[in-house]
Amino acid sequence: MRNTDRITAALLLACAVAFSAAALKYYKWWGADGPGPAFMPFWLGLVMAALALMMLVRSLREKYTGDAWLPRGEGLRHMLVVLGASAAFVALLKVTGMIFGTALFLAGLLRYLGRHRWQVCAAVALGAAGFNWLVFARWLRVPLPEGMLWIF
Amino acid sequence: MDFLGNLALGFSVALTPFNILMAVCGVTVGILIGALPGIGPPSGVAMLLPLTFGMDPTSGIIMLAALYAGTMYGGTITAVLINTPGESASVVTCLDGYQMALKGEAGKALGIAAIGSFIAGTVGVVLLMLVSPALAKWSLSFGPPETFALMLLGLTTVTLLAGDDPLKGYISMMVGLMLAMVGYDIISGDARYGLGVPEMMDGIDFLPVAIGLFGLGEVLVGAEESSKAQMVKGKLGIREVLPRWADIIRTKWAIFRGTVMGFAVGVLPGAGPTVASFLAYTVEKKVSDHPEKFGKGAIEGVAAPESANNAAATAAMVPMLTLGIPGSATTAIMLGGLMMWGLRPGPMLFEKNPQFVWGLIASQYIANVLLLVMSTLAIPLFVRALRIPYSILMPLIIVFCVTGAYSLKNSLFDVGSMLVFGVVGYLMKKLGYSPAALVLALVLGPLAERALRQSLIISDSGLGILFLRPISAVLTVAALLAVAVPVVRALLASSRRRAPAGN
Repeated sequence: MRNTDRITAALLLACAVAFSAAALKYYKWWGADGPGPAFMPFWLGLVMAALALMMLVRSLREKYTGDAWLPRGEGLRHMLVVLGASAAFVALLKVTGMIFGTALFLAGLLRYLGRHRWQVCAAVALGAAGFNWLVFARWLRVPLPEGMLWIF
Repeated sequence: MDFLGNLALGFSVALTPFNILMAVCGVTVGILIGALPGIGPPSGVAMLLPLTFGMDPTSGIIMLAALYAGTMYGGTITAVLINTPGESASVVTCLDGYQMALKGEAGKALGIAAIGSFIAGTVGVVLLMLVSPALAKWSLSFGPPETFALMLLGLTTVTLLAGDDPLKGYISMMVGLMLAMVGYDIISGDARYGLGVPEMMDGIDFLPVAIGLFGLGEVLVGAEESSKAQMVKGKLGIREVLPRWADIIRTKWAIFRGTVMGFAVGVLPGAGPTVASFLAYTVEKKVSDHPEKFGKGAIEGVAAPESANNAAATAAMVPMLTLGIPGSATTAIMLGGLMMWGLRPGPMLFEKNPQFVWGLIASQYIANVLLLVMSTLAIPLFVRALRIPYSILMPLIIVFCVTGAYSLKNSLFDVGSMLVFGVVGYLMKKLGYSPAALVLALVLGPLAERALRQSLIISDSGLGILFLRPISAVLTVAALLAVAVPVVRALLASSRRRAPAGN
């Protein structure tokens, strides 16, 4: 954990200092009758900087035990596939629309990662897309993204 | 008399067919969400919150509160049968529950958990009903300093949730507070930290954050592990699950202690069911005549923490309803729901929206009865749900996260921020930070800032005002102690570790 903690602490420290500095630079420190918009962020940044410094010092003192938290092999691949598929699903919502996109995302992920039979994939995809349509579009009247390919 | 009148009002609201239906839905979905590893109560409530926008707020809160109660029991099923906590408040139940299941006593473990949850939940509602109105009346006299001190206490006790590394707990909390600064300043109206993005001018909405951190984040962790869960085989018919009198008599004190401790911990802002269940288990082991049996299938080791987490889940509503301060990550999300429904949580809620508050309280009695019925009659059904492979469940959870985040404000920006915080949640989980502390701080941040600045406006002595008023002084000192204790403990531990090395 040592390396990760060091990098995280350094990043947090930089962010915290920037946060406080930005507060002083862009916002008023004192208003008409009391503390202004810069007051709280400035102190928060300062406290965060102190905490980050504590973690930095601690991680420098610790013995190196390897960064065991990093996913490897199959686990890493699964995680990245799920994350990538979700990001693509979200990015393409305007093209596919919510309902069609849902079905596509589910069918794709179930087939590729879960290796389920295509009947199972189709049933889950259609079921969930139908549920979404019924509950969100029909019942709650949420204007779901409609997409270009599909009427939904 | 007033009191009985209020309760009657509550039941007249809670017993309408639609609200009963909502309680049934809440408990059922709650047990499922609790049982399925990968989604816990906060993500469940966050994902279902958008569904409630189409209904009356009272029906909405009835469903969410029933769901919260349901998750507390649902987690037990997974803990006992698979040795994996379905949600964090059932972590300790694994210790003895799974051992009991290995001995062929899975039904007995689930049965005593069900009855313990029922007793604790019901006693919890009675206490909620007795304590809340008094607390609400008392807190009407709170000025900004008291409010700020209370929030400070809430924030500092959050780190109790963070586990073995208090430093990372505080860092998680500070990140939440800093995120809370984004958007218009409530007092001066200045836009802060918007980075030129129009959607960020209104502030970072905590719901997409919560859905991302708890929902998507957990799914990503699960995708990486994707281990095959092994379920203990055993008969789980109604006869096995129905608790026996002898067991109830044997565990009556464990249930009693769990209930009392659970309620006490749950009322504290910040510390919720998870802390309560750990505490109850530890105490039970300490007072037991046969502590050596704990960890090897002691029935008290299931009864006490399971009672405690249900009592705490109910108690967590006390600070939410009376003070507007959430008692746990889940109630933090409910609090957000309250604000979205246009209700102002806090002492005035009891006077201005009695049908809401009392409807909720009455519905909790009903939810507990439903929970007992379902946890004994429908258990085979829930066990079957556990057999759904994670590879099917996981994409479905993601779909719900996306639809949920979108339908809050019909905004794709929210979906994007949910996705970003999903990755953040994954990293936090892997690196030992506390997403619950972040969410709680994000909710409390703007309220705390306003209270602090108002305190400083009315004060002649700067921050000294926090110590000059009795209630705020006590709360502030308690908050400082909450910070000091883990720090001192960590220092002691590190000096002890270094001493032999120095020789």
